[in-house]
Amino acid sequence: MFKKIVVANRGEIARRVMSTCREMDIETVAVYSDVDEKAIHVLEATEAVHLGPADPFESYLNMDKIIEAVKQTGAEAIHPGYGFLAENADFAKRCEDEGIVFIGPSSKVIKDLGDKIISRQIMSGSGVPLTPGMTESDPPRMADEADRIGYPVLIKASAGGGGKGIRVVNSRDEIEEAIKSASSEALNAFGDGTVYLEKFFEKARHIEFQILADSHGNVVHLGERECSIQRRHQKIIEETPANRMMQELRDKMGKAAVTVARASGYVNVGTVEFLVDEDDKFYFLEVNTRLQVEHPISEMITGIDIVRKQLEIASGEALNLKQDDIVCRGHAIECRVYAEDPEQGFFPSPGRIEYLKEPTGPGIRNDCGVYSGFEVPVNYDPIISKLIVHAETRDMAISRMIKALSEYVLLGVTTPIPFLIDVLKSQPFKEGNVFTDFIPRHFSEWKPGNHDLNAALAAFIVDEMTGGRKMKVSKNAVDKIPSPFQTLGNWRL
Amino acid sequence: MEYRLSVNDDTVLVEVEPAGDNSLSVTIGNSSSQISYTIINDHHIRLHIDGKGINAYVAGNADEKCIVINGMTYRIGDADAAKMKGPRKSQAGRTPNEVTTPVPAVVVQVMVKEGDIVEKAQPLLVVSSMKMETTLAAPFSGRVIKINTSEGAKVMPGEILVDIEKEGEA
Repeated sequence: MFKKIVVANRGEIARRVMSTCREMDIETVAVYSDVDEKAIHVLEATEAVHLGPADPFESYLNMDKIIEAVKQTGAEAIHPGYGFLAENADFAKRCEDEGIVFIGPSSKVIKDLGDKIISRQIMSGSGVPLTPGMTESDPPRMADEADRIGYPVLIKASAGGGGKGIRVVNSRDEIEEAIKSASSEALNAFGDGTVYLEKFFEKARHIEFQILADSHGNVVHLGERECSIQRRHQKIIEETPANRMMQELRDKMGKAAVTVARASGYVNVGTVEFLVDEDDKFYFLEVNTRLQVEHPISEMITGIDIVRKQLEIASGEALNLKQDDIVCRGHAIECRVYAEDPEQGFFPSPGRIEYLKEPTGPGIRNDCGVYSGFEVPVNYDPIISKLIVHAETRDMAISRMIKALSEYVLLGVTTPIPFLIDVLKSQPFKEGNVFTDFIPRHFSEWKPGNHDLNAALAAFIVDEMTGGRKMKVSKNAVDKIPSPFQTLGNWRL
Repeated sequence: MEYRLSVNDDTVLVEVEPAGDNSLSVTIGNSSSQISYTIINDHHIRLHIDGKGINAYVAGNADEKCIVINGMTYRIGDADAAKMKGPRKSQAGRTPNEVTTPVPAVVVQVMVKEGDIVEKAQPLLVVSSMKMETTLAAPFSGRVIKINTSEGAKVMPGEILVDIEKEGEA
């Protein structure tokens, strides 16, 4: 087992990885940029290496500096977290060349599976059902193929993700324009304009399977996750088990996920994504070659520490788990709490966390990347925490999540907590009608409620009458020293 | 004692009478409540309203406080205090009277030109940051005097992107 590793990430995921490392007596090295000098992941690491300015290219995305941090501290391995360099095949290759263990699959696997066309080619030989479409990029043939598959179809970027480089095509005469615009968007976003063709399922569910594969040929899956509450292709609520998932379908899809892992030579932890249509037919979509944001819900229902498994597999240990050993109990839900304003189109709303009170109680887990007094930087994804609950049934998990969100207090930044509460209380969510169009369909005109307005007005008055926080001047706020006019209070003539 | 409190775009009149140690009688509209309170810390007030216990979490000052109760956030200001001090940056960093980006961003689209008459809440610009796009809207009705940016420009919070002469002020 490793004695020391570098966690090449920040925020809640860096903290979460280090947490398991501490349990395993592995020393941790945090890396940080200028704005993260006092970030929680730095405070909780054994040592910390300063990378440079806040710009990700000068810090968390800077391969040279991160490799240097490994050498400087004598660490043996790098855990890349998610995002940043986690799926960068070049970075994984550099680690391999430098004799540093990259905690994840090999650079070849990351490269192959990062290319959607190559992934499809690998899977088409393996018996895994593929979304109907093409397995090469051949624009002149796309119109004929689209006719054959049936509209609507998708023109998709091979190197793509995050909703970019995708166009829906409803008829043959739209194809040429769609190819041009998807290709150019992909070229701008990913540096690669290659596109291919896939059938578009309007009412499909995105169901993903968590896989673990060791270097001794053992592969298991930890069940599925359903991530159908999205906003502009960003996930906000995830749950497991998936709604209306029959055990028979789960077994079939689980076996397919394991086949996908074997067909691609996968080692370590990953996620196989499928589309499930209205007739419960499933199709391979892609593999995410990293630890995913929503991994905690799988941990809750199986009791397995997935980060621990990553470390064990990366250090050469064999999985001591057989598929039959994996038992899923109860229901888990995760809500992503970002510093975003749901009333301003979820635009980032970073700031200084003035007060933080995390929810607690049975079956409640908050993977949090901030603390009271921390200044949330504007330069990165504004994730505050992931709130996860686990309960016996879906209904109980929903109530538990509503309760947890209602107790979660974050002052100083705006979060979508009121929005999330309303989504969870809604009839469509309770019924499990969670297709990818959930938010536009049911919540496009959302406005926050004001059930406790009178209590809030009373609180305002009590706060004013008892002096509030008026007299406190922070050391950094030299230009905010209250003038006599501000401290005088209100008066009326 | 009377308070005029602003909640979103409305003003609410609240009558307050002391009613003993840490107790008040509060009247809003037609309903009166007995309220007793305990200050737990700088940000936490425990209220008992007509016998029911409520935890209220507070940040901010008289211009605007953010009050969180049961997961819901209320932005409340003292309408009289706001008048005296003039427009200020609100506690959550929003500047209600300026057209500026809340985070460093890139201008994606400019939807008005100099000389245009605009209505309150009319979209003026679209900016993009961290893969998100948002529309900045007119904080009040008036005439666009100057556009201080252009498509593709990188902008920072505090930079006034569009100068609008308020309707009625010449």
